[in-house]
Amino acid sequence: MTTDIYWRIAMEGDASALHCSRITRGGFGPLGAGAIAPSVAPGDPSTPVDYMAEVARATEASGFVGGLLPSFPSTDDPWAAAASLAAETTSYRFMIAFQPGFLHPVQAARMSATLQLATGGRVVYNIISGGGGPQQLWWGDKVAHDDRYARTSEFLDVLKGVWHGGGRYRHHGRFYQVEDAGLPGYLAAQPFPEIFFSGSSPAAIDAAGRHADYYLSWLEPFEALAAKFQAVREHSERPPRFAVRVDILARDTEEEAWDVIRRGWAGAGRRGHESGGDSVGVQRSQSFTAGSRPDDFRTLETEPNVWGGFAQLRPGPAFGLVGDYHQVAGRLDELINLGVDSFILAGVPHLEEAHRVGTRVLPLLKGRTA
Amino acid sequence: MTAHFHLTVPVAPPAVVTDLPAFVTDVRPSDHASPQRGAAQAAAVAELAGLGGAFVPFRPDGLDPLVTAAGLLRRTSRVQVTAELHPATATPVYAAKLSASLQRFHANRLAWLLTVDLEPAVARAHGDFLTGPDRYARASEFLTVARGVWNQGGSFSYEGRFFQVLDGGLPDSRSAPRFPRIYLSGTSPEALALSAEHADVHLLQPGDDPALVPAHVARGVVLSVAEDVDRYLRAGVSEFFLDGTDPVADALRVGEYLLPELVPAS
Repeated sequence: MTTDIYWRIAMEGDASALHCSRITRGGFGPLGAGAIAPSVAPGDPSTPVDYMAEVARATEASGFVGGLLPSFPSTDDPWAAAASLAAETTSYRFMIAFQPGFLHPVQAARMSATLQLATGGRVVYNIISGGGGPQQLWWGDKVAHDDRYARTSEFLDVLKGVWHGGGRYRHHGRFYQVEDAGLPGYLAAQPFPEIFFSGSSPAAIDAAGRHADYYLSWLEPFEALAAKFQAVREHSERPPRFAVRVDILARDTEEEAWDVIRRGWAGAGRRGHESGGDSVGVQRSQSFTAGSRPDDFRTLETEPNVWGGFAQLRPGPAFGLVGDYHQVAGRLDELINLGVDSFILAGVPHLEEAHRVGTRVLPLLKGRTA
Repeated sequence: MTAHFHLTVPVAPPAVVTDLPAFVTDVRPSDHASPQRGAAQAAAVAELAGLGGAFVPFRPDGLDPLVTAAGLLRRTSRVQVTAELHPATATPVYAAKLSASLQRFHANRLAWLLTVDLEPAVARAHGDFLTGPDRYARASEFLTVARGVWNQGGSFSYEGRFFQVLDGGLPDSRSAPRFPRIYLSGTSPEALALSAEHADVHLLQPGDDPALVPAHVARGVVLSVAEDVDRYLRAGVSEFFLDGTDPVADALRVGEYLLPELVPAS
């Protein structure tokens, strides 16, 4: 089995470089000089989805199987983007991030199967069960942390039941009731999407064991990641596959790469994490860099090339890889030997960096050697 | 009064898919009978023919309207695309968030037709067991919350019977998206009260009395054949949802023969 490597789409808008915090591309950030899609040029009809389309095309041409379309309060919506772009990519898989609390599972089934039909089966799910706390009520979701994983489990049961139920599916559960549900034949015939399951808490790992095709984690120091994988293995009925979300900052030389961080650090707004509340993943990330000092960004390097300060430079998770092309490829190979079966990589700006990482880093990967 | 025509696009596969005789070279694409192909062509022809919109209905045997509407918006540049949705399928916050992206992506051309009174068996198959006037109360909350998070960034809180939000509100963006135009229907007192509160347009069936529609709400009618349009216009009806058996032919006929008749002489 080959390794599926995804690239992210910046649903929150994109900056011109990692060390520039101003969002110039897409739907958010100020509309001023240098803004792209939309721009200030009179009569320019371009919109955020036009830029996303170019990122998707660069992604599929550069060696990636598709992209993660993340979902936060401050982003554009992944269903809206995937449904808009379905017809104009060729091999690109749309990994749609969503929370079960957003949609009824019967609705999610019809939306997914419709999008499978439109894309020729290129939909992948990133199931999130919430960042928790105030953010969940922002979404209008009052279900408590551990109950959300019970709901996620039931949601996926109903989603699969409706899909394969032939119009006679019945379910009377704690969160959902349906009677005589099903999809029309031409939609039920579509393949059920692969599931990338996110969540770091014990409740998440327990639910992942039942439903995940891939257990997806943010990058963490390698030892912590290996321990997390072991916990998931112990909770899984069948051997799980692992995926890791990794930011990449790779250049010809290590000095060039760290220089980008240095410039970004000098101007960073110290934005903190995108997702807070009761997220266990965020708490874990923060614990790994507890000894770092704000005056020295290299104190966030927890082991060679593994840097935990990305959340200060752009919205998203803390950890990523920094180094020259060979160093970064070598670290990715180490992750593969740790048990990683799939990656979601990212870099700012997402369009140019998709091409750079696809043509300079991916060709250096050796794969599983241990 | 100007007439606005919306073409109902097909969302289910054709009832009969024809086979070509074996000796005829057949290079039809594998998706030639796909409902998505049919919907895309109908919307594109509606735009070519000068109609104002395409309507994507919910049918139990059909495609998802919102996903389909997104594809049609991407393929067109001028028409309004109206998606039918039901308040039990998504939270109003999520419906608003998804729709705000569609408005940003597609020049504010999305509209919602909110259906309240699904047939009971269809509703139960979609996880909805609510009946009677409660359905209208939920629809009212749905639209109140969707509009609230849309317009009151960061400060919208709501504690209803069906939906709750704390400090909600969609993020500011560089192209402030417009709330979808809202279409509602029905002739019960609850339906008309809901329209008075929330509708931009109230859709009637032929034979319904246009005077039922609340005074400040625009009047629309669903027609299977584009006829009697003059009479409807005189009764204050301005939006026409065409739901015929051959949408592509209907759109072209309206564009070639009916729209020129309706242009006021200058």
